[in-house]
Order: sequence, then C-alpha cells, then structure tokens
Amino acid sequence: MTTLLIRAARVIDPASGRDETADIAIDNGTIADLGANLDAAAADRVIDADGLIASPGLIDPHVHLRDPGQERKETIATGTAAAVAGGFTTVCCMPNTAPAIDTPTTVRGVLKRADETAACRVFPVAAGTVGRKGEAPTDVWGLIKAGAVGISDDGDVIASAGMMATVLSLVAEVGTVFMQHCQEPSLTRGAVMHAGAVSTRLGLIGWPRVAEEIIIERDIRLVAVGGGRAKYHVQHMSSGGSVDLIRRARDAGLPVTAEASPHHLLLTDDLVAGESGQAFDTHAKMNPPLRERSDVDALRQAVADGVVTVLATDHAPHTPDEKAEPFEDAPFGIIGLETALGGYATALVETGAIDWPRLIALLTIEPAKLCGLDARGLGSLVVGGPADVTLIDPTTKWTVTEDDLAGRSRNTPFLGMELTGRAVATIVRGKVACSRHQAASSA
Amino acid sequence: MVVDRAENKAAAPRRNVLTIRELGHERLVRILRAANGYLDTPPEGDELRGRSVGLLFFEDSTRTRVSFTAAAQRLGAHVLDLASGGSSMSKGETIADTARTVAAIGVDAMVVRSRQAGGPGVAAAAVSSPVISAGDGRHAHPTQGMIDVLAFARFVGRADAFDLAGLRVAIVGDVLNSRVARSAVEAFSLLGASVVVVGPPAFAPPKLAALGCDVSNDLDAELASCDSLMMLRVQVERHGGAGAPPGYRRGYALTSDRLAKLRPSTVVMHPGPMNRGVEIDGEAADGARSLITEQVRCGVATRMATLVDVINGASEGGAP
Repeated sequence: MTTLLIRAARVIDPASGRDETADIAIDNGTIADLGANLDAAAADRVIDADGLIASPGLIDPHVHLRDPGQERKETIATGTAAAVAGGFTTVCCMPNTAPAIDTPTTVRGVLKRADETAACRVFPVAAGTVGRKGEAPTDVWGLIKAGAVGISDDGDVIASAGMMATVLSLVAEVGTVFMQHCQEPSLTRGAVMHAGAVSTRLGLIGWPRVAEEIIIERDIRLVAVGGGRAKYHVQHMSSGGSVDLIRRARDAGLPVTAEASPHHLLLTDDLVAGESGQAFDTHAKMNPPLRERSDVDALRQAVADGVVTVLATDHAPHTPDEKAEPFEDAPFGIIGLETALGGYATALVETGAIDWPRLIALLTIEPAKLCGLDARGLGSLVVGGPADVTLIDPTTKWTVTEDDLAGRSRNTPFLGMELTGRAVATIVRGKVACSRHQAASSA
Repeated sequence: MVVDRAENKAAAPRRNVLTIRELGHERLVRILRAANGYLDTPPEGDELRGRSVGLLFFEDSTRTRVSFTAAAQRLGAHVLDLASGGSSMSKGETIADTARTVAAIGVDAMVVRSRQAGGPGVAAAAVSSPVISAGDGRHAHPTQGMIDVLAFARFVGRADAFDLAGLRVAIVGDVLNSRVARSAVEAFSLLGASVVVVGPPAFAPPKLAALGCDVSNDLDAELASCDSLMMLRVQVERHGGAGAPPGYRRGYALTSDRLAKLRPSTVVMHPGPMNRGVEIDGEAADGARSLITEQVRCGVATRMATLVDVINGASEGGAP
C-alpha cells in the first residue's frame, strides 16, 4: 500500500551517504520503500521527480513565529505556511514572544497551537533566563521535558558572564544546546547597522564586529572552563573574525557550532544606502547587521571548510507599518523562509563553495543533530522513518516577487532579486504541504 | 550588495534637497550664486507670492526654524508651521502621516527636520511635494553646509565661480554626532577645497576618510596650514552630561593660544549654537577673524535661494 510515490528523483540523504536516482514510496506518514523501479501502479498518487533532488525535509533551527503575542507580524499558521513554501518541514521557533517562552506551560501552549494550526513540524526553543531579562535562570530541565529542543535568549545576549556560566551548566546537565545571540550590549548602544563607511556617511550608529566576537570569545572560554560539557551554538554569525574563533574552538574539540544566514551570505551593508546612496532601506536592517564583502567571503569559506555546519534563516517578520518607520526606529529583522533555499544555493553552490549533498547536510542532518531531532528520525531519509521530503529543482532561476511570499509579512530585501534553486514540493508527514511542481499526477 | 536586484526602486523626486551630494555641483553652485545675489540685492518680496511652505520640525529647533521662516516670508510665501510640541506629532503621528496631512492641506514645499537620520527622505517618499531637509539625526544638514561654503567663499573672494581649489578647511570636534560636519565636508569637497576633520579618536566614526576628507587627531599640527577653522558644537547632551569629555579642551578647543598660531588670513567659523568655554572661547568667537555672524547672515539668503530653486524650479520644469 502506497499513498504517494516519488519517481526517479536524485535522492540525496547525507545522513546515510545516499546519492542516487531512486523512487520513494510513502505510506501515510512513513517512508515505506526506497529504491529503483518501485511499483507505481500501487500508488494513489505519483510525482514524477525526474531532474529534481529529493532531500530529507529541510530543517530551520532559527525562526521567529511571533506566536504568542505578536500575531500582527506572524502566527504559527502563517509562519509555517512560509516554511513549507520554502521547502522546510521542520522549524525551531525562538522564545522572544510576548510573553517569552520561558515556562513549561508556554512551551506546551506553543506545541498545542502548532498541533492544531501548523503546516509543518514546530519545536520551540525556550528562554535561558526568566523573561529573557538575563537576571535569573529558567527551569531548563522542565522546559526541555515539556518539549523545547534548545535554550536561547535570542534577540538578546546573556550579557552577564556569571549568568551565562550558570545557564551553560544547566544546559550541560540536561544535555541540550545553548544558542547565543552574540552582541555585547555596551558596544552596540544605539547601533543600527554595521560600523563602516556606510554608517559613517549616513550618520547611523555603527554595530562593530568586535561586539559579536567578544561574546563568542568569552563564551568559548566559559564552555572550556566548564569542561566542554555544554553544547554551545552561535546564532546568525556575521563577522569574518568570528569564523576564526569558531574554527579554533572546534579544532580544540569543544562542542561549539555556528550558523550562517542567507542575508549574511549574500548581502552587504551598502544595501542600507541603496542605489540613491541615501535609501535608509529598513529591509536591510537586521541584527546582527549586513557587513562587508570580506565578511561574506569569510562566511562562505567557513561553510566550505566545515566551520559553519548549520544554516538558519532568522526569519523575522514585521508589519509594513513598522518597517515604514525611519531607519533608526524601525525594528531589526527580515523574513527568510520562502527565499532561503535559493539564497543558500546562489551563495554556496553556484559559487562552487560546496555541492548539493553538502548543502543538504547543512539543512537536514546537521540542524537535526544540533537540536536532538535526529533521535526522532528527522533530518534523514530511511525506510521506516518519517516521510518528510523536500523536492528541489536545483537549476531553476527565479526572481522573487510578493506572490512567492506565503507568510504574513513582506519585509525582505530579496524582492526583485534573482536566485537559483528552489523547493518545488514539500512533503510533511507523507502529505504534500506545498507544491508548485507541474509534473504531479495521479496513477 | 553582492547580488543584483532585477528592479530598481523609483528614483527620488529631483527637486528635493536632502543632501549636498545628491544636489550635485551644478545645482549647488546655482543656489549659492542666487544666495550671494540676495546678500547684495535683497529680494523683491514677490518671488514666492501665493506660495506656501510647510515647516515640519519633528525635533526642536530655534535657529533653523526662524531662518527658514524669515526666508519664506521675505519672498512673499505663506508659512505653515508645525512644531512638534502641541501638535499631532507629539501624539505619536508618524513623519509620513504628518507629511501626507500637510500635503493634503496644500504646500509648495516642505521643510523637514527630524531626530532620526533619513526622516526628510521618509517624508519625501510619502508625498509629491518637494522636501528640503532642515537637519536629520546625525546624517545631513544641507542648507547649513551651503551656508558655510557661502560665507567662506565670500570672504576669500570666490563667490562668483565658487571654486575653492587650493584652499584647506579644518572641521574640528564632535564629528560622530554632527550632521553639520557631514554636509560641510560634502559641500567644501564638492567645490574643490581640501578638508581635514580633526578631533579625538572617540569622536571619529569608522572609516571617516571615506567621506573624502583627511583625518587628524592633532589640532595643533593643522593650525598653520588651514584657511578656515570650523569649530563644531560638542553635543554635550549626547556625551552623558554637562561639559566636554575629559581632556577635550586641552586637545581641541579654540583658545586664545591657538588663535595666535593661525595664519593672519585664516578665518574662524562655527555653525552654532556655540558652547563658549567648551569648544570655542570668546576671543575666537568674537574676534576680528570670526565669520560666525556672517554665517548667520548667509543663512536667510541661502534658504531663500533654496526655496526659490525648489519651488520655482519645479513649476518651470527646469532641469536641475
């Protein structure tokens, strides 16, 4: 019995080392069979995937679903609609909601809402300090037991070294991961964009690279002093200097990982000024900020070298009214789920930094391992495992338009840009959650 | 940007005055010549008769607002004055909404000041009327930049072609927080002067030289080589309290000792408002070589010339 048969795809599963043309038979929510020339006649529905890549469902370990409390920007329903439009079958949502996700009850509330309304799998990341205020640690054990898959105060750093040491020890005890938003606050007061020639010309307060690097350096030291027991992850790394710090920590055998985001792999700070030189484009305002060409190159190289092992969008929806404020007042953040895969492929595969199998690893098994989702069978494609599959057209060139955006918000600098590579169908728990693939047919 | 956008955003309306850079050399010189003309021959008073100018000051201002008001009135224009205190602006209305409201009432130009960089641009994007920046955040104060070059060019006898080649201008002080400094660097550079920006490292934003100026931390080394010494106001309110940062006066204030080291022909400028005894001492501000009062006098003329260029230039459809 087969509910869905994917035919003649290039099946890439980095977790098992598979890269071959094969069929995938799905029975309800499970991969029933995987191999050449499976029986199409027995399937309710057949998708001809000739020329497409079949990947384990993509995982984004860093999104903002704004739920609870900020539903004008996004909800679990709209954010996951954006996710499946971009090929993601699993997202991890950050706790900077209103209220913050800092109690087991809130974690369970998010999971319940996801159960009822989400288009894909949703796992919350919970706060490391109460109210994300950096003053008192949360019940890390209780949060993880309630279903959180990581700990972070994202949006804010844990600024106090002492509090950070405490939270890291709790994280180590439970065996989860701490994800740090690396920004020394005393170096970034009033800062709204990268500190460089553009910020100087526009009269905007700069956010220097060192504010990121100093926190990474401090935290690596804390992880080392703690005996290397706490898994520590750097979110949305933006500075070329940070790459060297992560490389050294990993070489030293510490459990340190880092993620890069599509915008930091593609865009630079001159986008704030735009073509007019004074655009003050709020769609180029995010935290950490867009930096310079040398940082973009260093991040791409870090991905190629295996220093960066995870890719994450930092999907951060805001309303048009909020982004219409003057640059200094507008909130930080851009959406990213719908354009991410094309952005990664354009920045990393088209440039020859990595190949498709490595890109898929960075989007599947690597983030799965980061958040312990591999233990639930996510991030790989194996018989008997969950039927989360993303079909990718690796060569299609497309220009981003508003019609491509499926979430609630429109705040992206990628509108009008041409990207290469795109998810054409997203299968979550064996069901087609999103498809723009013309060759789908019934048997 | 690393990847290209397939579509460009619509270009800004051409009559706006948001930065000196955007104005360009030709239009800058045209406005400066007209302003210089008003100083010699006052306007008839009917140049802008029947026209109206909206003043949208989202940040407090006395000098600039009075100067624009006088300029508009001396040309015969009506002034619609929206100050932030006691208006809808203090009730949380956005810059764009206020601009649209004023545009609906009907004005021929808007003069916009904002606390945030880019605020006049936000207004300009919301309405079709031309917008003149009266200062935005730390970004730009284009009419002040024009005033500074006009006062200096008149003094050195170059107010015909406005070619300042061969002359050196030192801009001293709190560049980090100064929109005046940014516009002055642009204006002096565009007219061919060489500019050196002088101040403590803590006041220097990153990659300052990318503005097209030299950068120095040693005022005493610059004194003998400059033709104009422009002192900036130390924004004491932005440095956490009263007075200048420790050691500031020792390194960067224009004292009588430093005044004595200037060449006889070098002039002293200050865009105001001055902190006497902080960045500049009375002997310098009030001395024979001070152009400070002349700068204020150039203010109304420059703003008259700007308003006429923006309003009449637009109605005649002339190329900028």
